[in-house]
Amino acid sequence: MVASAVFPFIAGGAAHGTKLPVGAVTLSDLTASPRFGLKGGGSAAWLTAHGISLPAVNRIGAHHGMRILRLGNEDILLLAEGAGEALAELKAGWANDTGPKGYSSWREEGWAWMRLSGRHAPQAMERLCALDLRADEFGVDDIAQTRVGHIEAVTFRSQAGFDVLFDVTASAYFARTTAAEAMYCIDLPIDTEGHI
Amino acid sequence: MNRLPGPWGSRIDRSRPIPFTFEGKHFEGYAGDSIASALAASGQWVLSRSFKYHRPRGILSMTGADANTLVQLPFEPNVAADRTPISEGLSVSAQNVNGTLERDRDAIIDRLGRFLPVGFYYRTFMGPRRDSWLKFWEPMIRRKAGLGVVDTTAPRRHFDKTHLHCDILVVGAGPAGLNAAIAAAEAGADVVLCDENPEIGGSLTYGRHDPALLADLSSRLRALPNLRLLTGTVCNGWYEDNWLPLIQGDRLFRTRARAVILATGSIEQPAIFRNNDLPGIMLGGAAQRLIRHYGVRPGQKAVVLATGDEGYCVALDLVEAGVSVVLVADPRSGGETGTFEAALRGSGVAIRKAATIEAAEGSVGNRHLSRVRVGGSWIECDLLAVSADQVPAWQLPCQAGAKVGYDAVSGSMTLSLPKAPIHLAGSVAGDSNLQDAITGGHRAAVAALLGLGHAVGEERISTRPTAGSPARVLPIVAHRKGRDFVDFDEDLQVKDLQNAVKEGYREIELVKRFSTVGMGPSQGRHSALATARIVAEATNRTVAEVGITTARPPVGPETLGVLAGHHEPLERRTALHARHLALNAVMKPVGAWWRPYVYGEASEAEEAIRDEIMAVREGVGLLDVSTLGKLELRGPDAGAFLDRLYTMAHANQPVGRVRYCLMLNEMGSVVDDGVACRMAEDRFYVTATTGAVARVYADMLFWNAQWRLRVDVLNLTGAFSGLNVTGPKARAVLEALESDIDFGREAFPYLSGREGVVAGVPVRVMRIGFTGELSYELHCPSSLAPALWDAVMTAGKTYGLKPYGLEASRTLRLEKGHILIGQDTDAITTPDELGFGWAVSKKKPFFVGKRSIEMRARLGQARKLVGLRFPADARDIPGESCLVLRGNAPVGQITSIGFSPTLGCTIALAYVHIDDSTEGSLVTVKCRNGNLVDVPVVAHAFFDPANARQEM
Repeated sequence: MVASAVFPFIAGGAAHGTKLPVGAVTLSDLTASPRFGLKGGGSAAWLTAHGISLPAVNRIGAHHGMRILRLGNEDILLLAEGAGEALAELKAGWANDTGPKGYSSWREEGWAWMRLSGRHAPQAMERLCALDLRADEFGVDDIAQTRVGHIEAVTFRSQAGFDVLFDVTASAYFARTTAAEAMYCIDLPIDTEGHI
Repeated sequence: MNRLPGPWGSRIDRSRPIPFTFEGKHFEGYAGDSIASALAASGQWVLSRSFKYHRPRGILSMTGADANTLVQLPFEPNVAADRTPISEGLSVSAQNVNGTLERDRDAIIDRLGRFLPVGFYYRTFMGPRRDSWLKFWEPMIRRKAGLGVVDTTAPRRHFDKTHLHCDILVVGAGPAGLNAAIAAAEAGADVVLCDENPEIGGSLTYGRHDPALLADLSSRLRALPNLRLLTGTVCNGWYEDNWLPLIQGDRLFRTRARAVILATGSIEQPAIFRNNDLPGIMLGGAAQRLIRHYGVRPGQKAVVLATGDEGYCVALDLVEAGVSVVLVADPRSGGETGTFEAALRGSGVAIRKAATIEAAEGSVGNRHLSRVRVGGSWIECDLLAVSADQVPAWQLPCQAGAKVGYDAVSGSMTLSLPKAPIHLAGSVAGDSNLQDAITGGHRAAVAALLGLGHAVGEERISTRPTAGSPARVLPIVAHRKGRDFVDFDEDLQVKDLQNAVKEGYREIELVKRFSTVGMGPSQGRHSALATARIVAEATNRTVAEVGITTARPPVGPETLGVLAGHHEPLERRTALHARHLALNAVMKPVGAWWRPYVYGEASEAEEAIRDEIMAVREGVGLLDVSTLGKLELRGPDAGAFLDRLYTMAHANQPVGRVRYCLMLNEMGSVVDDGVACRMAEDRFYVTATTGAVARVYADMLFWNAQWRLRVDVLNLTGAFSGLNVTGPKARAVLEALESDIDFGREAFPYLSGREGVVAGVPVRVMRIGFTGELSYELHCPSSLAPALWDAVMTAGKTYGLKPYGLEASRTLRLEKGHILIGQDTDAITTPDELGFGWAVSKKKPFFVGKRSIEMRARLGQARKLVGLRFPADARDIPGESCLVLRGNAPVGQITSIGFSPTLGCTIALAYVHIDDSTEGSLVTVKCRNGNLVDVPVVAHAFFDPANARQEM
């Protein structure tokens, strides 16, 4: 007997029924997408020994279609959107390994994974996050461990906008907060016209 | 009536008339008009009454920097009429009037001034009785002192908040700021330029300048995509690390700039003479703004007070706008005749040197200026334009660390900035003419760029011109009858400040506090320099020695909405939230969490709670304990780490055993408790209280960084959910589920833990509980919690399993005498006070708080937490926090109290005097109705003190 997982935004989930903004600011839920985190002594060594080249802390690398987020020296998160098989293989290897291998960080359970996209995603992030996220300052492979929507979060750029990882129990709150801010994202809060 | 023909009026659109009302009368202006300009165009010059004497007041600066033009809008008080645009149907009324603006009953106070000397309120409102202030004076003063009226029925407004980052923020889009911003952006920097006005240009828009200059700057600006412009935006403060709030209407930009250029300009100063506050007397810049921005003729017959080219330009503008300029008074005794002066003479305007305004007189009720006295002669006029003195806009620079100086030769304030990425440009930096301002802007940009590491090419920082401005200090013409106002906001006159000094307040900060000078809406913009001069003269010091008062944020008024936090309250939901809703739970917030309070209708909660309690006592109940803090400590030193952090011994704890955890802070006070389950030699699963886990986790990280042990700390609070299956039939329910765990008494004894699978869900199970009954706490990955909940609910049907809520849980734990950290403990609670000596290792050489509790133990114990059991027929029952008395002295308080359905009486936990803490002692508790009740002390565990039920 295998129990089925229920994530916040699906039927029976804690945030089910909470509307996600769609349009110029779109919030997508990736919480059910495969990912795996290792944390604690031995994590980096085990991953390296299995052929994964680890990036510097707060940078993102890649391996077999997975994104490798280095959150700390011994805190690594593997996101496997579209690379579920590669991750499953790696996880199986880790589970069966009886030697030093770090410890699971349970990120697939503890963190929601959401994606802000759309034409006004940058404006939405400006409202949600105090950090300097200008393209020159925050590149495609940069990670920010900060606060987004007033809660602790990890964020980085994705092709479509920004991905945000945060406490899964705050999923409904985050969606409402993002939706509320999305309403006020407009094209030209700053203009170069000058009204002369 | 006073409207000038085009092209005067750059801000107004004459094709769009806008009707509005002021004081109930109908007016009409044009789109782009401010309230003040539209009223002035129609001949309405009086906008408000003054704060203390209720004197008529009108336009002074046209910059929103004074209290004269504050008006009331339907949902917003204290609105600057000279900056706020009119809108269709807008209803505007005057503030600070008793009656009407035209006929203000409190205008009589203007005649009673001699009975209201400076600081009179410090002495007047003391009596006659001790409570006179609260009962009589304060209510009266509140009625009189209020400026606008807050309408609490005002509709909700959204105040947008966002963040803004840039390389260089330029504050002020006048000639200096524009040149600075453009130069910086042309060099490649990411620049934000903000200005409080609706357009760029600053003085270029209202001063007597070549329009081609502004047009050129504008086109260069538009060609720069890396230059973002924020018009209508006030920079309202400077904070550490160049954090600046930019307020654009109802939007706040929380701005962080790597470098800041302050091109905030200068502030024209009023002249001081008798009746210098009459409507019709305004600053030269105000007259020019009325003419050029709004196409409004500021008067018919004018006198101009001028001390330099700016003043002569004002006079020339007035002449061109059709105003009859009867005299230009110039306090300077002579000097060069400039171009503008020559042009004026050519226009036939009389110029009198070494002359100033000595006094003014108004029409009936002082409603408008009627004449001024110059050189002993009275001159009929309805406009006096004062363009005589100015100070740098010091607020932002001073907040950023600038020091104010005073150049006695030029009679002007100076500013010096600390070595920081902040630069000054334009008149705020002392650049005294247009060309200097343009050069100054460029110089500031180059300095900022170099500071940020930009290559500036062949540019060099040009040095600031060293030639000082000629002296143009205005004499302060005090009058023996007063009404020579220094501070219009507070109706303070020259003698008020002199008297403050005579009272012994020599220092400028004390003068401010005694007299209230500079405390009004304009925050000393028009009074600081004059005050410094008056105090300097009265104390025989220099202006530099006296200085000015401290400038603090905010620079200008800001609405509370801008400061308010976001509107979405933080909420956390357990993975079982939807299950609770489906079971019709009454959900209540506990901190950020939503928790089921009771299952069923709120109207029948009392009965439902009793049923839930009895279900646990007699059958089996199910509680969602997912909000509990859950931490995992992993690594070879995990046990050693816990040994240092908690009071009990964990390094020697066997795998599969659960042990109570008690955490102290460094002063030996209890800050948290929970349990630690050793899952492997190198792995502990630790619980913490719902409210404290964030702090416990942070403390663990802190200590881990200090001790550098081989341990990793992981917060699993959201990742794992918890279900407590409790009651005599709990084992039967779990045994009915498919599992690889043996839940039998011998195989799985009390205070042990197991890992396995239940109903297909990987679980960590601990035999612990808060109810005093046979309990199993099942923890599992949160995504699988709904499946586990469903399985337990289904298996429990046969046994009458009932989910129960927080209130039942609280009562169950109280019956068992379990404490709640934070409710039954306070900031100084020690383990001994809780009777928890058993939970403190005597053998360990160290744990956090050990030394403190040993030291505190030597001081003697004053109180102890005990149980109190009230008779079933007790009539007076105290509430939480009610005092425990010994004699008449409070010695403790009730910390938890409630009716126990199991015991049929009210029970409580309370701190009592240590001498009264033995079982059977009677203690006195004061009820909320004031009655005293004596109640016997009992042991903590009201229910099953032998623990037979939980260990079954």
